[in-house]
Amino acid sequence: MVSAGLLDATVQGVITGAIIAGGALGLSLIYDIAEVPNFAHGDMITIGAYMALVFNNPGEIPFLPNFGSAPFVLAAVIGVVLAGVLGAVYELAIFRKFREKDADLITMVIVSLGLALVLRNAVLFLVGSKNIQYQTQRVITTNFDFLVTQSGLTVTSTQRQAGELVTTGEWGYPWWLIVAGLLAAVAVGYAIFAFYREEEDFTTVHLIPPKIMGAAGSIATVLLLGVFARLDPQGTDYILGTQIGLNVKHITILAVVIAAMFILNVILKTTKLGRAMRATADNMDLAQVRGVNADRVQLIVWVVAAMLAALAGILTGWFATNLTPNMGFALLLPIFAAVILGGISSPYGAVAGAMIIGLSMDVGVYLIPGSSTYRVAIAFVILIGVLLVKPEGIWGDV
Amino acid sequence: MAVADFIISLLTFISIYSLFGIGLNLKFGFTGLIDFGHVAYFMIGAYVTVVLTMPAGAAGYSGIGGFALPAIFSALGPLGSLFGWILGVLGGMIAAAIVSLAVGIPTLRLREDYLAITALGIATILTTVVNDEEWLFNGPFGINTVHSPLRDVFPVSVGSFTLNMVVFGALSIAVFAFTGYWLVRVFQRQGRRGKLILGVLVPLIAVWYFVLPTLSGGMVELTRNTLWLFDPTAGPNGGIDYDRFILLVSVAALGGGYWLTERTINSPYGRILRSIREDEDVPRALGKETFQYKLQALMLGSALAGAAGALWAINIGFIAPDQFAATITFYAFTAVIVGGTANNKGVILGTAFFWGIRNGTRFIDVPSQYSIQLAAARLMLIGLVLILILYYRPEGLLGEQDYDIPLPSRNTSGGTDDV
Repeated sequence: MVSAGLLDATVQGVITGAIIAGGALGLSLIYDIAEVPNFAHGDMITIGAYMALVFNNPGEIPFLPNFGSAPFVLAAVIGVVLAGVLGAVYELAIFRKFREKDADLITMVIVSLGLALVLRNAVLFLVGSKNIQYQTQRVITTNFDFLVTQSGLTVTSTQRQAGELVTTGEWGYPWWLIVAGLLAAVAVGYAIFAFYREEEDFTTVHLIPPKIMGAAGSIATVLLLGVFARLDPQGTDYILGTQIGLNVKHITILAVVIAAMFILNVILKTTKLGRAMRATADNMDLAQVRGVNADRVQLIVWVVAAMLAALAGILTGWFATNLTPNMGFALLLPIFAAVILGGISSPYGAVAGAMIIGLSMDVGVYLIPGSSTYRVAIAFVILIGVLLVKPEGIWGDV
Repeated sequence: MAVADFIISLLTFISIYSLFGIGLNLKFGFTGLIDFGHVAYFMIGAYVTVVLTMPAGAAGYSGIGGFALPAIFSALGPLGSLFGWILGVLGGMIAAAIVSLAVGIPTLRLREDYLAITALGIATILTTVVNDEEWLFNGPFGINTVHSPLRDVFPVSVGSFTLNMVVFGALSIAVFAFTGYWLVRVFQRQGRRGKLILGVLVPLIAVWYFVLPTLSGGMVELTRNTLWLFDPTAGPNGGIDYDRFILLVSVAALGGGYWLTERTINSPYGRILRSIREDEDVPRALGKETFQYKLQALMLGSALAGAAGALWAINIGFIAPDQFAATITFYAFTAVIVGGTANNKGVILGTAFFWGIRNGTRFIDVPSQYSIQLAAARLMLIGLVLILILYYRPEGLLGEQDYDIPLPSRNTSGGTDDV
């Protein structure tokens, strides 16, 4: 048995980053295209999470009859769709009206703040402040012990079943395999990068940039080798040892957020709608001159953002196994930090910023003992540092 | 509780929050800085003042200090202790200004919305720090050994019961007379709608304050409400008690803050602040270092919030981190916007409107298990009012105020192009 260490904190950080990225994607779309610094985004996350709760666990909501529980996945889908409908309501009832009045940025900030107050307190009013859970199956966490020994790497996987710690697998990688695997990963990554790289000009739009393709190829190679090339254990007399806890939630959250990112990417880059969205973001008046229906684009942006927010909310509520009316507002600050860090005009920057914020929050809490209440503070220190050095954010321009 | 006592506590609240709101108005209304972390300076002002003025080694307190400034200066003479307290308040205001300087430097050069977000973040972090670090200011347990200036002087009595009643009663009636005179003046200047609103509201309040208590409590209640400054139960001969004194101090502080901001925004300096709000490029093109001006406005507004915090501490007599939640900032924003952005009178009106409704709803009898619902409904209403006001009357109830030195190309009726 070894204890959890930096590697485990990193894994946690990636998951936190993925959840923040779900919220940050929607926020950066609204920020960039609708030009609203949306302080209600955190509470749109809360609303989305409670929408799914209505169908998954209605017995917990005081004014609802207990009409039975829908499976979590179905409830989540319904919740996301309903949140999208609400997004359309926000746009049609509030933000479109203010846009028609040519409201400036300050007014939009205050309006979104008003909406945030209404949404958060609507949840408090209807549900109350108690902690509620989704009805889901229990998830068993598998702990992987990584032991670096003289002759290579030994991995032991253990699970807690019925209170007993059961060893479910033990395998290892000798040094030659590790070195070969890493070399193969670099080679595969570079090969993909070289294959997709082409002469770039002004109009080149990559669906996925070659650098990211290459990096993804490298990671995939390492993972595939790790799963399929499992050899004998290399002894347990370790020099360095660390533990990672993984369960199906981690994998699902990562997969769902990556899928959402990919779908948004395809929409933005390959469809006519996506082009209209990017054009509106650049310059709404010019886009309208070229025949873009800006109202329609804004409506879609709000719907998509509300759906992404709901997705982030449902994943948060599932991951943390409780829902509170403040859950979204607590996420709002890291999400804003991520969006500003990435440079507000780029959803890709927002995702990169979210990963940096998520990692720094969890790794920072691990590295600085007794700092667990300062998770958000760590994110903000990084944000302010970046603002001082590179005010336009790491990815985009203001 | 007599109606007079309720009015006194409500007016104290309104004065303190108006001072807080005037600080916000200087930042948001006149200079155009959206400071969502305004409550942080309220908190800093309260804590620093309390720690500077409380005695060292107080029971149940394990934080820094206290530094007992009033006790040190009481050696100077009878008013030395008061002087020490005022020094403490100044210390709180300076601390608030310095922290806002540290917040402003990285954020004020950037887009206006960055300030909103970072300020909200920093305020949240500061509250967390005060809550979690017990060595700093006693953490979540708060401080209950707040120094109350001139506490031992009160209740003040000027002689026999009758003499007290006559002196303070005459002062009370003088205040009513002045209020009445002022209301008549306002009434005459109003348009038709203003006259209608005043004509309905003022008699209603008068009936509530004078007639209803008389019906239930007889002449005793009527006397207590009319001679509101005189408290017959304070001391052997009656007199003016400490709550009424705090009200007077708060009103005086509000008057001072009001005068200071009026002087500031009506000066050429204030004209630069307003031009920064309208279009920052213009003053910059004229050679003004706008960053410095924004920083100074931020610091002055924060110092006023700090002073409000110091008053809050003596009014409540106990401070703890959970009193300084981010919602206080949002209340102040609502008050400023409802009353009239960039209008100091509007801030007072908006604060009175807001806290009148908020504390007035206390009288609605709700079963205790629905108290969360009541609080939530109240906040929903605030959010809704905020949106509706911004849509239908973005300049607020009173609109932007007039200035001694108007900006060029602005009609004197007050423009609305800033909202």
